[in-house]
Parts: sequence; structure tokens; C-alpha cells
Amino acid sequence: MHLLELIVPPGFLANGPVHTALIVGAGAAVVSAIVGVFTVMRGQSFAGHALADVSSAGGSAAFLLGLNPLLGFLGVAALAAGGMEWADVRDARERDLVTGVMLGVGLGLTALLLYLGTIRGSTSGAAIAILFGSMFTIPASLIPLALTVAGVALVAIAAIYRPLLLSSLSADLAQAQGARVRRMGLVHALALALAVSLAAMTVGAILSTALLIGPAAAALRFADRPGRALGWAVAIGWAATWGGILLAYDSFYWTPGHGWPVSFFIVVLIFIGYLLAGLAGRRPARQGLERPA
Amino acid sequence: MLRRSLIPALGFLLAALIAGCAGRSGGGLRAIGIESQYADVISQIAGPYAAVRAIETNPNTDPHEFEASPSVARAIASASLVVENGLGYDSWAGRIMAAAPNPRRKVIDVQRLLGLPATANPHLWYEPGTMPAVASAVAAALSRLRPAQAAYFHANVRKFDASLEPWRQALAAFKRRYASTPVAVTEPVADALLEAAGCTILTPHSLQIAIMNGLDPAPQDVAAQQALLREHRVKVLVYNRQVTNALTTSFLDLARRNGIPVVGVYETLPAGYHYQSWMQAELAALQRAVSRGISTESLGQGATHP
Repeated sequence: MHLLELIVPPGFLANGPVHTALIVGAGAAVVSAIVGVFTVMRGQSFAGHALADVSSAGGSAAFLLGLNPLLGFLGVAALAAGGMEWADVRDARERDLVTGVMLGVGLGLTALLLYLGTIRGSTSGAAIAILFGSMFTIPASLIPLALTVAGVALVAIAAIYRPLLLSSLSADLAQAQGARVRRMGLVHALALALAVSLAAMTVGAILSTALLIGPAAAALRFADRPGRALGWAVAIGWAATWGGILLAYDSFYWTPGHGWPVSFFIVVLIFIGYLLAGLAGRRPARQGLERPA
Repeated sequence: MLRRSLIPALGFLLAALIAGCAGRSGGGLRAIGIESQYADVISQIAGPYAAVRAIETNPNTDPHEFEASPSVARAIASASLVVENGLGYDSWAGRIMAAAPNPRRKVIDVQRLLGLPATANPHLWYEPGTMPAVASAVAAALSRLRPAQAAYFHANVRKFDASLEPWRQALAAFKRRYASTPVAVTEPVADALLEAAGCTILTPHSLQIAIMNGLDPAPQDVAAQQALLREHRVKVLVYNRQVTNALTTSFLDLARRNGIPVVGVYETLPAGYHYQSWMQAELAALQRAVSRGISTESLGQGATHP
């Protein structure tokens, strides 16, 4: 009993904002971890990060218009993801360039929309909330929508799990076996958009990459089968998110002021997970599930 | 003996020079109050002898997040009197003035005028002692710029002080009648007024600071504030209409649902008000809320006479 109180501070489980953060955070962590494994295998980590940055334009547009920020993130992320797949740039170098340029455009647009938001309406702290997240201010009314988004992303991935896995490991092999590689790419991109917008709601647009790539990269460092990698990624992401929320709550008592941001703790825990995974890993990163030469 | 006769002569010469300059530029002095409440006080002291402009006037925006435009920078650079709040509230103005030095420009930094430490609550105008001090400093600065009108400026200060007397008396009466009234706030903007009225602010200070600075609030603080409203432990929620976000809106909803009256407060002068009428309107709204449970969520269009 005393040990439990030491780990879980008093009032933690009865706290409204903590409840909402735990539920939405878990949804974002699970979806990000699962989609992230495919994203890392496909070598699209940078695209995933760019998508998050571009989606911040949607989040800030929602602030400006007084809409639900999740819808804003979602709309722009889905548009950008669809556009990225539609453009279908195969050359890796050129793809990086196009992604980088779009990232800049997205953040530039965010700067404008945040400026307009502070001039037209009273959206105090919108910049920090959109870019770095503000988990304890998520309204409880957002839970159903967040869980729906998470569910849709998981169902989409589950429905095409095998062909998606194959096309992520080797597009050529998948094509030879008759899988529709481009359709797989599109479904992955849309699931990525859903994951990124959920993560942007919780840890912010810029840090959502940490939730997407970190747990997946850590899991792929030591898991030797895709199924296990998915399981480990979910475990790491979920544990880091709940652990981060717990530490942020706890930091109220040992930091000057009013505690440190929850996003900071989550990212630190993910990084620790990544380092530990490297110690546990038998093979260096990426080789375990790397496409056959 | 020599100095005695020299100073008025020099003053006269200076006044003539200024008048000459002003004549060439086609107007009187140009003065700026960074926040519209300071501009209002400058106008009341300067009368027709200065064209006064306010920079932060939009009651729908958060002055903490203001960004200056080039035209604002030009206006500030060419003004001969600038009143700024200080305490980091409008530090961009200081940077503009440093970039466009002008030895003739008089600058009143209200924080420095009152000798406040850097950690003070920046919303100085809700403190009853602030504006009389600003009015005197403005009169002193204007008198150096236009010595011929010094008596006029100082007479306006006395008028200004007298016009604040009803507010001061109402504050004292409120304090006697409703001592230690428990209140919740979203942001520290009107804390000085609430303290002057003898209220007890129960909202955690760290929550007010987090909302003011747009930072992640501690969940403990959010829960504490929700409990204040849900359990009717406060008589009124004082709501800053210019620093709002999803969290402050949720407090507003919670107060409405629990029948706790709301009083809207502002960072800058609301439309149609002078400083004096604004302060009286806020106190009257607080009194309505505490005595009869009536909300005044916004001040609307005020009377134009102080």
C-alpha cells in the first residue's frame, strides 16, 4: 500500500485532467507505435515528421476558427498524406527534398495562422499547445472523437496487415506476389495521418515524431519478428506516455513553480527506452527486419 | 539670483523652439500610451495640447502576445512622450525606442515609476495607487515639453485625482461590507483590484501564472480550480476576457453550470470607457455578483464620461 502510494501520488487517479490525458495519451501512443513500425520499415520517418509539422497548420487554423483542434490536425494531415502518396516520388533524394520543402511551407503557414489567431481571437498559449502539446488541458469531451480516430487507424492497419507488411519490407517482392503496392502506400499514409494528428493533440505537432518513431525504432532494435516488434512498440510507447503523465503530475511537488511539461517527460522516457533497446538488441538497428538484399 | 532669472528665460526659449517645431509638423505634441488605459490618462492630462495614440487597443486580443508592426515602430520612434507598463508586459516597446534614440523623448516606465520588483503582477492599472502616480508623472513630463501649459496640466491632475474618489470610496465600502469574499480567477489581471476590495483569491497562483504565460497547467491546479467552482466555495469567477483558451472556457462553462456569477475583466480599456468609469464598472459588477449573484460577463459599451 505504501509502495503504491510512493509510485502513484495521492489524488492522481481521482484527477479529471489526468483521466483525460491517460485515455487520449494511451490511444495516441498505441496508434503511433503500430503505425510507426510500418513507417520505420518503409524508411519514411522523415515524411512522418514532416506530416506532423504540416498538420500544425491545421491545428492553428482550428484555433483561429474556433473548431476542434483534432479536426484541424486531421484534415490537413490527411490532405498532406494523400498528396504525398499521390505525387509518388520514388527517388529517395528527391522525396526528401519535396518533403523538406512541404515541411517548411506547413510551418510557415502555422506561423501566419497563429499570428492571425492572436490578433483576431484570444487564443493564449496556442503556439505552445499546438507545437509542444498541452495534455492536461484536453477537454474530456474530446475522448470519444480521439478514440474513434484511434480505432479507425487500427482497423485500417489490421485489415491489410499482411500485404502492408510485405510491401513495407519489400515493395518489389510484394508487387511480384500481386499485392497492390500503391493502395498499401495510400492506406499507410492515411493511417499515418490519423496517428500523427492524435499524437499532435497530446504531445504537440513537433514532438509527435517522438511518439511515432521512438517506440518503433526501439522495438525494431531487438525484436526479430514483425508481430513482436509491434507488441514491443506498443508497450514502450504506452509505458512512456503513462509514465510521463505520472512524472509530470509528480513534478508538481519537486520542481519550483507548478511542475514540468508532460511532453518533456514522455520524450525522455522514449529516449531511455531507445537506449535500453540498443543494449538489449542482438543486432544493430534496422537489420532485424531490413528488406532482403 | 542669476539662475533664477535664467531658468524661466531658458524655458521660454525652449517652449518657443518646441512651438516652432510643432508648428512646422502641423500639430501639437505626439504622445503614446502603449496600453489604451495609459493613453486615456495622457489625454485627460494633456487636453488639447497633445495628439495621443494608443497601441494596444484591441479588447479581443491578448496584449501578452502582441507583435509590433513597422507603422507602430515609426509612431513610437517619433513620439515625444511614451508611457509604457514595464514588467515585460510591453518590452517590445523598449526595444523599438532603443533602436531609435531621441534625447528629447520623455519615457515613463510605470514599473520604474512605482519602484516595483521584476516579479510584480504586471497588470498595474488595477492597483488603485497606480494611475494617480502616472497622471502626476505625465503632467511633469508634459510640463517640461510645454512649460507654458504647466499649470493647466497640474490642474488636470487634481481633476483626475478627484474623479477617482468615488471609486476609492466604493472600494472601501465594499471592503467593509463584504470582507474576505472568496473568489476564483482565471488569470491575475484584476488581482490587485480584488485585493484592494478585500477579497480572498482562492485560485492557485501557479494556475494563474500558467494561464497568463500560456504554459501547461499542473493537473493538481486545474482540479483545485474545478473543485472551487463545483463545490460553490467561491462567490464569483473573475474572468479575463482577453486571455482565454480551452481551459479558461471550461472554467467559464463550469461556473455557469453551477450558478456562480461571472465578472469579465480586461487587459486594455474596453470600448466607450474612460479609466475611471471602467474601474467603477468593474467594481459595480463585482458588487452585483457578490450581493445579488448577477453575472456581468462583459462590460459592453460604457458611458463616455468619467
